Formats: sequence, structure tokens, C-alpha cells
Amino acid sequence: MCDVCGCHTHSHGDKHDHSHSHGHSHSHDESVIVDINRSLFAANDAMARSNREHFDTEKIVAINLISSPGSGKTTLLEHTIDRIGKEINIGVIEGDIETDRDAARIRAKGVPAIQLTTGGACHLDASMIHRGFHQLQKEPGGDKIDLLVIENVGNLVCPATFDLGEHRRVVLVSVPEGPDKPAKYPKAFTTSQVFLITKTDLLPYFDFPVPEATREALELNPSLEVMAFSATSGEGFDIWLDYLRDLVKTVRGKQPA
Amino acid sequence: MHEISLVQGLLDQLHSIARENNAKQVLRVTMIIGPLSGVVVESFEFGFDILSRQDDLVRDAKLEIIIPEVTYRCSNCGQEEVTSRARPAQCAKCGDRILIATQGDDLILRQVEME
Repeated sequence: MCDVCGCHTHSHGDKHDHSHSHGHSHSHDESVIVDINRSLFAANDAMARSNREHFDTEKIVAINLISSPGSGKTTLLEHTIDRIGKEINIGVIEGDIETDRDAARIRAKGVPAIQLTTGGACHLDASMIHRGFHQLQKEPGGDKIDLLVIENVGNLVCPATFDLGEHRRVVLVSVPEGPDKPAKYPKAFTTSQVFLITKTDLLPYFDFPVPEATREALELNPSLEVMAFSATSGEGFDIWLDYLRDLVKTVRGKQPA
Repeated sequence: MHEISLVQGLLDQLHSIARENNAKQVLRVTMIIGPLSGVVVESFEFGFDILSRQDDLVRDAKLEIIIPEVTYRCSNCGQEEVTSRARPAQCAKCGDRILIATQGDDLILRQVEME
């Protein structure tokens, strides 16, 4: 269990929506019972909506990458930047528990990137993205982003519960991890729109039946778009790049709400 | 373990609810935790136990958790299964494996008793 003492969890929730108890109340002796009926996700969801509206106004497409540690999120990003960084302006928000190594890897590609370190917390939330995006806009090139990529903390459980205001949620599983991740971590797959199977250049060395993993994911979420590729060998990678090109075109063509 | 942050959000809400009602102590907190909310009930209880100990307002509060039922509808034959337990692997009638869930992803502060 990460973050078990709760000592860092105060820091990233600076904008709690406080509930107002409009429910009727009744008294028993001196105690009072009040109906609240309010979601604990409400504060984060409201901030996520405001993030999404802001991205829409600025005609930015935001995607949220979720996976276990080591599935290749940062490597995917590096190769994506190498291939389409000249035609699409990419900006990156990196989430990790400690260190800014991932942001440094992305900046080395000449792309604006900032690092959010959660200091123990196992996920990013919408208010962290709100602050992180404003910070990113001040970086060189941060004022003309077409595609914002949020690389979540490596964790297939907690990030699935928090809407960040992204337009598309993308879940990755790499070949060495095995094909049973959809069955074991269903929420990451039911809340995503895209499922990437990465490191397919390693298929000869691992028992990873791609059709079975695909089928299990589609059983949970029939509308998932599934792509399998290797970012390092480049095999199948064009499907992902074309997907991003289309996504940017679609959202940029849309009038802000 | 995002349950800890969610419990912290709950305690913040309890403080403002107590202020509005001029209450000095929270006696009972009733939560609805959907089986598909991504929240582990035991971790939520553990987080509540730990954080409430450090908080005078909620130190003696009792946490009640309601787990609602979820309806899983078979995408092939329309058969419905209602359960608050784990997602069924397949349709009991036709064996199809694509089941569409309704509700069940809520995390709701239902009711507070205080004095």
C-alpha cells in the first residue's frame, strides 16, 4: 500500500468542494441526522470538467496514459515525438512519485514538459493537472500546444478512478506483463477508449496471445480501440500515429462548446 | 491506495457539514460504495480508522457502508443479473461474455448523524 500514512495527501487537494447539506434533518434527543447524498468524486469531477472546457477553448487535445510501471509510457512518448513532433505540437505533463527523470527525457526531445511529483500519492487528480497545465504553458513552446499528453503515475488501479479532464484515456499493457491485465484490473479498461499492447517485438519470447488479451478487454468494454505495436522497432506504430493525427484534426475542427 | 485521499476529502466535508449544523461531534457516517467504484471497502475503512483517530470531530464516529447491487445486462440475450458481489464472468442464460453494467460506480456520502 502506498501513501499509507496519508501524510502527503493533503497537498494535492487544495480545492475541495464543500458540501452543503440541503437535505432535511430530524432530531433524536440531542443528535441530528442530515441527508447529504453527495459524491466524494464531485470535487474532482467538477475540476476535470473545467480542465476539459479550458482545453476545448484552446483547441488542445488531451490524452491520459495509464499503465503499470515499466509498460513503456515514456518510451512511447519519445518515439511519438520523434515521428510526429514536427507536424503536431506536443506538450507533456509527467506524473511520478519522485524524480523529474521522465520530464528530462521528454525535454531532451525539444518538447515542453513539466514534472508533477506526487510525493507518495499513487495517482494524479484534476487539480494537479490544472496547476500543471498553467506551469506547462510558461515553458518554451508551451503556449502553442496541439496535443497534451498526461503520463499518469505508473499504477493500473488508482488512476482509473480520477478524471483529469482528458479527451481520451489510453491504457497500455506491455507484452512481458502478460495478457491477463484486463481481467485483473477491469476499471482501467472500462474507463478507457484506447488499449495499446506495447513491446510486440518481444512476442517471440513471451507467452502473450494478443487475440486473447484483446478479447478479454473487449468483453469489458466493447467500444475500446485496440492497437498492438512496438515503438522501438516501429512495427505497427503507424496505426497509433495516424490515430493521433486524426484525433488532433477532429478536435481542432470542432467549435468550442 | 487512493482511498486515503478520498477519506481525507470526506473528513473535509464532514467538518463543513458539522459547522453548518453547529455540531461538535460526528456520531455516524453512512457511505454508499458501489462495487464498480474502484474503491476497496477494506482500504476505505482502514483509511477512515487511521485519519479519524487524529481528528477530534470524528474520533468516535461509526462508519456505516452500504454496498448497492449492480445490474449486469447480457448484450446478446438481454438476461439481467443483479448482484452486489463480483462481476459475473458470463451470462447465466446464454453464456455470452459481454455484460453491460448499470450503476455501481458511485461513492456517495449518504447521511451524517452528529451532535
